[in-house]
Amino acid sequence: MGQRLPAWLGFFLVAACVVVGRTITLGAALPAGDLSNDVCLACHGDASASTRLGNGRTLSLYVDHKALAGSVHAGLACTDCHSDITTVPHPAKTFPDEHSVSLAYHQVCKQCHFDEYSRLLDDVHHAALAKANRHAPTCIDCHGSHAIALPAQPRSRISEACARCHAAVAGEYVKSVHGKALIEQGNNDVPVCTDCHHAHNTANPFSASWHLQIPQMCAGCHANKQLMAKYAISTAVLTTYLNDFHGMTASLHRMEKAHPREFTATCTDCHGVHDIRQVEGAGLVAIKQHLLITCRRCHTNASPNFPSAWVGHYEPSLRHSPLVYAVKLFYDIFIPLIVGGLALQILLNLWRTVVNR
Amino acid sequence: MTDYITRFSLRQRVEHASVGLLFIVLATTGLIQEFFPMRWAGWMILEMGGIDRVRWIHRVAGIGLAFVVFSHVIVSVLQVVRGQSKPTMVPTRKDFDDVVIVTRYYLQLSDEQPRFDRYDFRQKLEYWGLIFGSLIMTVTGFMLYFPVLTTRFLPGEVIPAALIAHGREGLLAFLVIITWHFFNSHLSPEAFPIDTSIFTGKISRERMEKEHPLEYERVLASGEGKLEGPGPGESRGPG
Repeated sequence: MGQRLPAWLGFFLVAACVVVGRTITLGAALPAGDLSNDVCLACHGDASASTRLGNGRTLSLYVDHKALAGSVHAGLACTDCHSDITTVPHPAKTFPDEHSVSLAYHQVCKQCHFDEYSRLLDDVHHAALAKANRHAPTCIDCHGSHAIALPAQPRSRISEACARCHAAVAGEYVKSVHGKALIEQGNNDVPVCTDCHHAHNTANPFSASWHLQIPQMCAGCHANKQLMAKYAISTAVLTTYLNDFHGMTASLHRMEKAHPREFTATCTDCHGVHDIRQVEGAGLVAIKQHLLITCRRCHTNASPNFPSAWVGHYEPSLRHSPLVYAVKLFYDIFIPLIVGGLALQILLNLWRTVVNR
Repeated sequence: MTDYITRFSLRQRVEHASVGLLFIVLATTGLIQEFFPMRWAGWMILEMGGIDRVRWIHRVAGIGLAFVVFSHVIVSVLQVVRGQSKPTMVPTRKDFDDVVIVTRYYLQLSDEQPRFDRYDFRQKLEYWGLIFGSLIMTVTGFMLYFPVLTTRFLPGEVIPAALIAHGREGLLAFLVIITWHFFNSHLSPEAFPIDTSIFTGKISRERMEKEHPLEYERVLASGEGKLEGPGPGESRGPG
């Protein structure tokens, strides 16, 4: 007693079979078995897990599950990052050296952290990686792998990360006024490496564009009235510099399209770069002693009188640079007097002309 | 039919024209440096090819002006010493008396007007203003151009002092020119729209009689100073 099915139902059933069949074939491509973190840690939780690199050194394969649980990535599955692992046990991997290991996972982070990755396009480290520089850092070299914490907790960690490669610079920094405040007092107002150099778009500090933006970089904090009031530091440091010959040149060079043939002195030329000292007591003496050498870098043959052409970051007054103050005062009185007198004479002349008519 | 008296020599006309041109160049390239933080000034500096080029133009023009002014002073002094010309620009007692007479006239305290010789007190004032202004500008400009050489002999503080003085003195010169000079030579009812005598060297008999009566009388008495018809390109009618 075969009942005939409606044609549309037949069509639907055929279509359903096709779809289901497809699903079944897709399912066959999924790895059989469990890929949860516990499965991975069954082997990688063993502290002695290791492999031999091509260079003969041993690479630990141990993953501390406590560190993992305490990291910012605690909620992720191993395979979120290690997405190439589809079966357990997985095929053995061979790496020639440690750099190749971190390089292999360098592209993994951008799946989630695309903003940071896109900024790498202006980054000196990234450019070095692109040139196959074996010393250039990958994401993992700065941030770590399994025990990733927020980078700025505490902020001194940032400078420690940079110090792993930039040891000489870091050594200068820890002795500087900024580094001391950070390390000895835990002061978080001071700049760490990334505040000046940025993190993912680290510029080349030997480039022209870098040099031209130094005054504005320092002004980021030193022209901030609230911040400087805490330390009784004058915010006039920027304006006094910008009103001076060098500051004017720097401002205008920055606006020009072509880079200047020679650079003018900016903050770092007198104050140092990573070894910035407090401009008091011994630090002030050191700056002044060094000033003539600094000036002579451009003004060859400058005499010992020459550095005092820079009157410091003071507005001229009777106490600081009285000569400049006197000249200013003279013209502040003289100009209105002369121009006002002449204008008055003109007006009187016109008035009499009108009266005559 | 107006006739003219030759009042300025070719040398004086060339000197005036070159000082005028150089002043315009210096005032332009100088004031945009003085006011560089302002947008219009920064824009002009960039349009001129950047601060380094603006400074170069300014220094070349500055050397030019210093040369014109100081060669003028030297030649003029030599001419007076040799008796080839009279020190007509030197202020005298009469100039101070004239200021009083003019002021009384303006205030309607009297109707008496002063009778001027070759140069009236306004012209003398502007002339000496230019000479001393140029002296200050040249000295301070030189200090800024050669700070290393300057501080070999002088304390360092003269450099920032020179920077202030140079900027302010330049501003003063500019303000004096656009008020005093523009009024006396362009806007005043006697000169409007422009007093051409420093360009052509000629002045009409009427204006000479009115503005420099004492000199006019001397010219007539001595027979110096040629009387001519209107020169070519003479735009001014009788004053």
